[in-house]
Amino acid sequence: MVSAATVAPAAPQSLSLPPPQFARLQPHAYLLAHLSPPVASNQPSARANGRAPSQFRVTSANSGSLTHTNGSGMVRLGDTTAVCGVRAELLHTEDIPSWSVSQSSNANKRRRLADSIKLSGQSGDHEETEAEVEEDRAHIEDLNLLVPNLSLSTGCAPGFLPGAPPAALTQALSHKILSLLHSTRLVRAEDLRVWYQPPNLGPEELERHNDEEHMDVDADEAESKPAEIKAFWVLYIDIMIISLAGNPFDAAWMSVLTALRDTKLPKAWWDVDNETILCSDSIAESRKLSLRGLPIPSSFGVFEADAAAGWRAVVIPDGEKLKAEEKKGTVQKWILADPDGYEEGLSQERACIIVDKEQNGKTVIVSMEKHGGWTVDTEDLRQLVDISARRWDEMKQIMDQC
Amino acid sequence: MSTPLILLPGDEVPSNHLPSTKSNPLKLGSGVRLLSQPSTNSAASSHVLTASQAGILTTDAKRNTVSLQSFSNRRYIPTTNDLIIAQIHHSSIDYFHCIVTPHTAQALLGQLSFEGATKKTRPMLNRGDLVYARVSSVGLGAGAEVEITCVNPATGKAEPGGLGPLTGGMVFDISTGFAARLIRASSSSADHGDAIDGLVVLSELGKKLESSGGFEIAVGRNGKVWVDCSAAGDTAIKSTIAIGRCLQSTDDNNLNTTDQKKLVTKVLREMKLSS
Amino acid sequence: MVGPTASLSTLNRADGSASYKCPATGYDVLGAVNGPIELPARRDALKPEDATVEVFVKPGNTTAGVGERYVEGILRSVLGKVILGRERGFPRRGVVITLAIVGGDAVERGDSYLTILPALLHTSLLALLSAAVPLSMTFSATLLGVTKSGEIMPDLSAADAKTAVSRHVLAFSSKNHLLLNESEGRFDFNTWEQVRERALSICQELTMPGSDGDVAMGDESDGSKVDGFVRETVEDRLRRDYTWKIDS
Repeated sequence: MVSAATVAPAAPQSLSLPPPQFARLQPHAYLLAHLSPPVASNQPSARANGRAPSQFRVTSANSGSLTHTNGSGMVRLGDTTAVCGVRAELLHTEDIPSWSVSQSSNANKRRRLADSIKLSGQSGDHEETEAEVEEDRAHIEDLNLLVPNLSLSTGCAPGFLPGAPPAALTQALSHKILSLLHSTRLVRAEDLRVWYQPPNLGPEELERHNDEEHMDVDADEAESKPAEIKAFWVLYIDIMIISLAGNPFDAAWMSVLTALRDTKLPKAWWDVDNETILCSDSIAESRKLSLRGLPIPSSFGVFEADAAAGWRAVVIPDGEKLKAEEKKGTVQKWILADPDGYEEGLSQERACIIVDKEQNGKTVIVSMEKHGGWTVDTEDLRQLVDISARRWDEMKQIMDQC
Repeated sequence: MSTPLILLPGDEVPSNHLPSTKSNPLKLGSGVRLLSQPSTNSAASSHVLTASQAGILTTDAKRNTVSLQSFSNRRYIPTTNDLIIAQIHHSSIDYFHCIVTPHTAQALLGQLSFEGATKKTRPMLNRGDLVYARVSSVGLGAGAEVEITCVNPATGKAEPGGLGPLTGGMVFDISTGFAARLIRASSSSADHGDAIDGLVVLSELGKKLESSGGFEIAVGRNGKVWVDCSAAGDTAIKSTIAIGRCLQSTDDNNLNTTDQKKLVTKVLREMKLSS
Repeated sequence: MVGPTASLSTLNRADGSASYKCPATGYDVLGAVNGPIELPARRDALKPEDATVEVFVKPGNTTAGVGERYVEGILRSVLGKVILGRERGFPRRGVVITLAIVGGDAVERGDSYLTILPALLHTSLLALLSAAVPLSMTFSATLLGVTKSGEIMPDLSAADAKTAVSRHVLAFSSKNHLLLNESEGRFDFNTWEQVRERALSICQELTMPGSDGDVAMGDESDGSKVDGFVRETVEDRLRRDYTWKIDS
């Protein structure tokens, strides 16, 4: 290598490897050498990519870059880039096979709900009742109103060949995003409903009523004829990872967030004469989604100092002992925030924490996962939650600016 | 054996259950791992035996061994000196490539690893033929090849007896645990009639079929048993199948000695073999 | 409370198998393990000195989809850590675990797999034990829910899980390591710590190692769940398989 010769001309005779080669041949030793530099060198412990263990990569977010979508977002996490586009399509309730059945059975509940939703529109923020929560859930989950699909594009990383079926990773990420959309209840079902308020009964209709047995029908009841849902917006959320250098989930989820925050749905209404739904093409009339919160993910990988741990036939210390040994420093590990591709290959144990903050600044954990090892426990997780909370502030700023 | 000690993976083997002879080193069988306990004070680290499988702890004071007897249906993993029944898959210049267990790499059997085999007199085995062989080496490290042989290289004889191609007869699948039991039972001693390892099925069959010429049997540790009868015509086939059925249902239903005797009588009557 | 029920070596042809039924969630899972076997496409796996662990989850009423891929990934990472893939006969080979969801509510598209995760974990552990695949330790898992009032609920049913504010699946090894944590919903760290505490005590009941050297397990298990069902199931089956030995 020409570059190698120029880098280390001082000792041409000894067997020395340029850093990139060393990194490939002995990845574990290379990262370990960076994280635990000799005391004499007076260097701080840093990762091979120069970051501190709890430091995330430079993150940037951009919204509205795809013009043919209802909303789009692009998030860059170092060299990992995810693009997300949201496309909204109408689903007529008459096309839903079980719609009329499910609606007639709980028509009363629906009427009450419709009223309360209208009320809530005026009073703004209010505690949702259990029935509303259930209705919200039923509409979004049972009718599949959110359809995320993630693809790792060909060539985003060396392992992805054209024409191959979706990798297990792709499918797992798609599921994780969908299940997170459901469990955080990020999108409000109300935003996706297209309502139709049947008009006040005209005088002639009243007369017709009078002809029949409803002699004492009063204007009040006619007025409160329940509004009905004529259609739903279905959001097709397509995520593409165009460059993968570790930590695809964080990038993918934040691109979804950016895109959903950017999503505008056109004003849609039921046209009685044509018996169809019409949409307005005026941007002024379109409205944004009002999302519930801003869940921000932080992924971590655990790097264990002992590369040969799997080979060593030693008694595995039990939970408490392990903690004690870690305190003494006999067992060493580093928890690396936002691992890049190189570090992901060296860590088996992963953790992913998704946090949100309430109005009063209180941190709420939305999801916390860890698997693949046994070194991370309560104390580590507590620290990770704190790191994630700080990450939330940082990301909120980035997202608000874009 | 009164109350068996059952261990689960990760459990320590209690030291008071180990054979106490100090004369020769303790040998570890399957399912037991020797782990070192890294101790904080100096280099004096102690050693601990732990289980890596679920099983009953068995010790042999005479041979100074300790092992775990696990579930009988497990897959056979080749171990040196095991006797197995292998099936020829194909042959190459130097080797026969043999199937020992399904979905695993083929074992190698040298073309000349037979009693008295020279380049001219070596057996011509075809695909599907069976051999009774001994595992001669399992290799070291990942992806190592298993080698088997039908001859004792020291003496040039087919030792232990019966190694070599199996012609005629029929092979039955049994569980690996049952195969090990059959081998133990037959190797201990065949002459005194009481049950060894709770097995009477073979001696019972031997008694009942003696009149029709008896039978030959080869048990492979890989969960195969080969049976052949020397009787003429239909009886040979009938007895072979009867023996196979007896062995398989003893294995499947985990029969005790009385039930084994009943089974033998029943099967032989059904096959119209008992006089 | 009715504990889970399980039986080992239920399938004849697989190297190891187990069926497991959890009364609270109603899930019934059948697991089969084959190993060590040759995986044709993985001769040059990433780690040639280790065994490859493959997990397949089959839902009861449909083909496997994205949700199954996700849960397979989790199971693979947990089991891969416990399986001793460097023992003799295992390196470069594969251990294939197939889990079929035989009974219980179907897991819908986009539903979290949390409710069924403990059942899947237990089934795979039992099947691995039955196949005598070397393991460094055993483990147990549990599902807990936290209600609106902050109460921690064990033995969640699928319906309870839907109404709970947060749901947690934790798995602990027989040496009390936290092997897996999957939490979702809305909660804070203090709540989680309480959940962990509770889960640990439940899991310990499930795997508690027998008192050292003393085989008087029958005395302890009276009334309490100390022995745990993993050990009990294994012991029952071993006793049955080795009656010839124990009786003689």
